Amino acid sequence: MLKSLSRVVSTAIRMSSSGTTSSARALQPLSRSALCSTNSGTIRPFTRSLWMMNNNGAASGYRPKLFSSKGSSPVSCGCESLHTEGDKAFGDFLTDEIKEEKKIQKKTTLPKMSGGWELEKNGTEAKLTRIVSGEKVTVTFNVNNSIPPNFEEEAEPEQKSADTEPDVVSTPNFVVEVTKPATKHSLVFDCHYPEDEAGHGEGEEESDIFAIREVSFQPEGDVEWKETSYTLTTDSLDWALYDHLMDFLADRGVDNTFADELIELSTMMEHQEYIKFLEDLSGFVKCN
Amino acid sequence: MGLVLRNLQNMVPLRRARLRKDVETLRHILGIQKFDLGLICVDNRKIQRINNIYRKNNTPTDVLSFPFYEELRPGKLPCPLHRDEQNLGDIFLGVEYLFKQCQHESRDLHETLTSVTAHGICHLLGYRHESKEEWTEMLQKESYILNEFNRFTGRHLVPLIKTFGEDR
Repeated sequence: MLKSLSRVVSTAIRMSSSGTTSSARALQPLSRSALCSTNSGTIRPFTRSLWMMNNNGAASGYRPKLFSSKGSSPVSCGCESLHTEGDKAFGDFLTDEIKEEKKIQKKTTLPKMSGGWELEKNGTEAKLTRIVSGEKVTVTFNVNNSIPPNFEEEAEPEQKSADTEPDVVSTPNFVVEVTKPATKHSLVFDCHYPEDEAGHGEGEEESDIFAIREVSFQPEGDVEWKETSYTLTTDSLDWALYDHLMDFLADRGVDNTFADELIELSTMMEHQEYIKFLEDLSGFVKCN
Repeated sequence: MGLVLRNLQNMVPLRRARLRKDVETLRHILGIQKFDLGLICVDNRKIQRINNIYRKNNTPTDVLSFPFYEELRPGKLPCPLHRDEQNLGDIFLGVEYLFKQCQHESRDLHETLTSVTAHGICHLLGYRHESKEEWTEMLQKESYILNEFNRFTGRHLVPLIKTFGEDR
């Protein structure tokens, strides 16, 4: 049952709803076991690039003259870069988009995790650290690719409005590392948010808020994952062992409350990074 | 698959391993190890919603059972023909509701969860308590299960329903 659905890596569609496919999650009648359902992931169609779509692809030696077509004559601002009418429209669009995103940004400071976790940020990656009776517990996650695809069915046309747009929620995979004093190895848990529990729909959710995918010993502080260490996968694990592992994490502050707070933190971080990216993109396009 | 345990709430800290061990003991006593059973721990908000949908009762409660076999004669185990029919159904435990009740009555939460699960399993096995006769029959079964449980574990669990007419 806890066989994890592999996260379909997909970035959120914020500016446009095109290019996604969604599958409705089957609601299970409770007269049958709600735990017997199978969920199917959604795969975004691969978007082929402009180069690929041209019959004469890059391999033919032919280069389409994208910038010499009508209506996109180059303009120069003296920076020796190319500027087109399209770039100008793009820049204007980004200005509006940044304004809108800042409007919906609830807070600019990141929420604090309860339980005395210290946050350290490095770009899109975050590390939470906590010392419990000499034991060091760290949780790392990356907000990139942390927004699951939208599983909800398309709303009826009359219900569609800006207000009913679903919230973008970041549910990153996260790695918990527990290091005991005077040991060279850390016990490492690879955790994730099962997709049907990530705030979708009103059906009877059937997965835990978060789940352990893999457990292994790794040399302390090593950045590189040591593939030669035995890795316990939870796909076909004895449930009693799994429950002990979950209790072990809970005793170290990684429980459902933590997992919920992590979603809040990650969602806000992701939004900050998104706005920052839009600002960088705007600056790049406008040559600021 | 066996016992599938889910904790969908963050209001009450749960010891999953202990809950599993206790419910596995109940399954052993009843001889239902070959059947799948879902045990889902939820908060007040969620159990209230389920209660409203399926029982038209818009209040939180302690336990809701959803049998896989709806027409079982009490005490008769189902005879599944296929593997996917080796399923008794799901029990939703209102752990937040039970936690508050335990605080109020100074009872141990995990012991209460086990008693409540025994009650839920009885429902999955066809027991009801709508009439006085049904109630007596169910109370007898619950008492038997918990007496056996106490004998195995040295604990002192008591049945959930004590008087006829309790709404469960």
